[in-house]
Amino acid sequence: MSQQSTRRQFLVRTGAVAAGAVIPTACDGKPAAPNEPRASARAAPRVVIARDDKLTRGKVHEHRDLLPKLLDAAMQKLRKTPDAPAAWRQLFRPKDRVGIKVNTLGLSTQPAVVDAIVAGLRQADVPAENIIIWDRFQVELARAGFKSRGGVQCRGTDESDHGSGYQRQIETKGKIGSCFSKIVAEQVDTLISVPVLKDHNLAGVSLGMKNFYGAIHNPQKYHDDNCDPYVADVVSHPYIRPKWRLTVCDATRAQYHGGPTFNPGFAWPFGGLIVSADFVAADALAAHMLEEQRKEKGMKPLERERRPTRHIATAGARGLGEADLSKIESIEV
Amino acid sequence: MDNPDNLFRQPSRRDVLGCGLACGAAGVFCAARSAVAQQDTAGTGALAGPKLQGVARHRAMFFEKLQENKVKCVLCPRECEVADVERGYCGVRENQGGEYQTLVYGALCSANVDPIEKKPLFHYLPGTTAFSIATAGCNMECKFCQNWQISQFRPEQVDSRLVTPEKLVAACKRYRSPTIAYTYSEPVIFYEYMHDTAAAAREQGIGSVMISNGYINEKPLRELCHHLTGVKIDFKAFTEEFYRDQCSGHLKPVLAALEVLKDVGIWFELVVLIIPTLNDSPDEIKQMSGWVLEHLGPDVPMHFTRFHPTYRIKNLPRTPIGTLDRCRQIALVAGVHYVYAGNVPMHPGENTYCHNCKAELIRRVGFRVADNKIKNGKCPKCNTAIPGVWSQEQALAFKPNSRV
Repeated sequence: MSQQSTRRQFLVRTGAVAAGAVIPTACDGKPAAPNEPRASARAAPRVVIARDDKLTRGKVHEHRDLLPKLLDAAMQKLRKTPDAPAAWRQLFRPKDRVGIKVNTLGLSTQPAVVDAIVAGLRQADVPAENIIIWDRFQVELARAGFKSRGGVQCRGTDESDHGSGYQRQIETKGKIGSCFSKIVAEQVDTLISVPVLKDHNLAGVSLGMKNFYGAIHNPQKYHDDNCDPYVADVVSHPYIRPKWRLTVCDATRAQYHGGPTFNPGFAWPFGGLIVSADFVAADALAAHMLEEQRKEKGMKPLERERRPTRHIATAGARGLGEADLSKIESIEV
Repeated sequence: MDNPDNLFRQPSRRDVLGCGLACGAAGVFCAARSAVAQQDTAGTGALAGPKLQGVARHRAMFFEKLQENKVKCVLCPRECEVADVERGYCGVRENQGGEYQTLVYGALCSANVDPIEKKPLFHYLPGTTAFSIATAGCNMECKFCQNWQISQFRPEQVDSRLVTPEKLVAACKRYRSPTIAYTYSEPVIFYEYMHDTAAAAREQGIGSVMISNGYINEKPLRELCHHLTGVKIDFKAFTEEFYRDQCSGHLKPVLAALEVLKDVGIWFELVVLIIPTLNDSPDEIKQMSGWVLEHLGPDVPMHFTRFHPTYRIKNLPRTPIGTLDRCRQIALVAGVHYVYAGNVPMHPGENTYCHNCKAELIRRVGFRVADNKIKNGKCPKCNTAIPGVWSQEQALAFKPNSRV
């Protein structure tokens, strides 16, 4: 099956509506509040899939010039504006303290993708000093190629010498009881989740919501029952949900099976990004695409491997975002 | 309650800080930082050493290799299937390329010299001390955990010192403790270290007691009993609902482990933390006592202890003393010979009475033994043999029954 036909089929399957559909955007200069009840409750949340075949060739960091353009194009589609800085400004303000949550366990977020996000934030006049790239462990961040530079900080929660660490008190939400990273709890007021499009041996997929397991001190306690409802519990916490503005799923190098560690046998050179301000919709669509890829490769659905992605449906049922594919507007650029 | 938070009496505190691994007031994660800082300046003791950077990797026991570099841990009833680079539920055992590793081999975050009564073990060398140690991690998540600052954290998140089994045994000898207690968090998750240390300790004439939730599979438990000399099990409730909702575990495997201990023949005692409205119904206590009597016999001591609000259960009051009295009475009426009320200093239910003639045998004041009348393991009044371990020779003579 050619890539072109796959995309077309995909758009049909996911019930994509015309690109001209109305989506509420903030026009008063203030950022929109993604995943909050919308003025027009019926408007479909938008997920943009930005791909470029060039990204599938060579190393991702060799495409440092291409990725910001691709991301800007996605943001313009997402925010319905031909002006990239305006698109970024719709979601971010200069005073924002932005935490970019990457995923460095196993198949890692690519630093070049995060560089493109930083470039976008700079277009919204967010000072570099207000941006923190973070995950659980400094050593894993370093191994994945992340480092502080140009004023942008890069910090593991474990790096308590720099004011990180976990809060001392337990936060309870739903079934979870956890100490949260001080970075997410105290040091940022805006969040971007940058997961990798990848399979997970227990949750089915590890995407934007599951990525925030890296914000709590005890994620190992919440992998039973395919991480459900624990993922929804974590992301609905006030430290996360009201702060979360954007998901940029790194699908430059994806993996449809054998995750979360990197397994070249199941690598998937997707060559793109999946971008949305609705974090449930982003995950729902990404999970669907991963299932389609598995099908194309002759693999069983995740459900039949006892790894259903129930946590996404739970998040949708709780009103955290849209999990129903027929109600999601997907757009390719 | 065996909580490292409360245990420092003044002389011991100095001793232990001098000893090195200071957890004095401090098995607790945050408190440990300051205590360790004191240790750094004291720094000459038997366990002194730099703070462990990262984790202490060691090949795990009891796992099976699966496809695609996955492993299945068969140490505890969870039997986690763990993908490459991931960890099991306990947070201290990690798959690295299809090899399962423990990350806490010798990574001690708490060490202290406790009265053995604090474990509590009331029929095991009363009045002696236990050199008590822990690493981070647990294979349950009890919402009422009193040591959650170490049990519910991962090894990188607590301050630890690397202490080999040999070094620990040497420190124990220096402090003239006849026993090492693996306690505070959940020793099952640092099984390998406990196993090797207990073996080394026995060779040096030191016993080992495991203070555990009993969430362990049969094979590793039987293997471990070759080296242990006593066990205390937190028998948290007698309903599946409680284990599931309050502990993220299951009741049946704990019952199975208790039956293994009985079969092995090792000395063990049971502690039941009574939490108002959750596990304090007379019916439940009656059923539990009946099960103990039928499956373990009348000589396994039961301790009903007082709950204090903590961790994720702060909305319930402390256990009324009357509730403990009632539980104790139910178990005694059921036929259990030695039943105690715990966490209530000066309560008469903390004393030991001969099950035959009811004479007071051991009088306790808090964790201190004020008087011990037992002679050669017998009641001095009626000469009835009192079940328990009353000498170090008896402790070290223990060998598991043959099926092991």
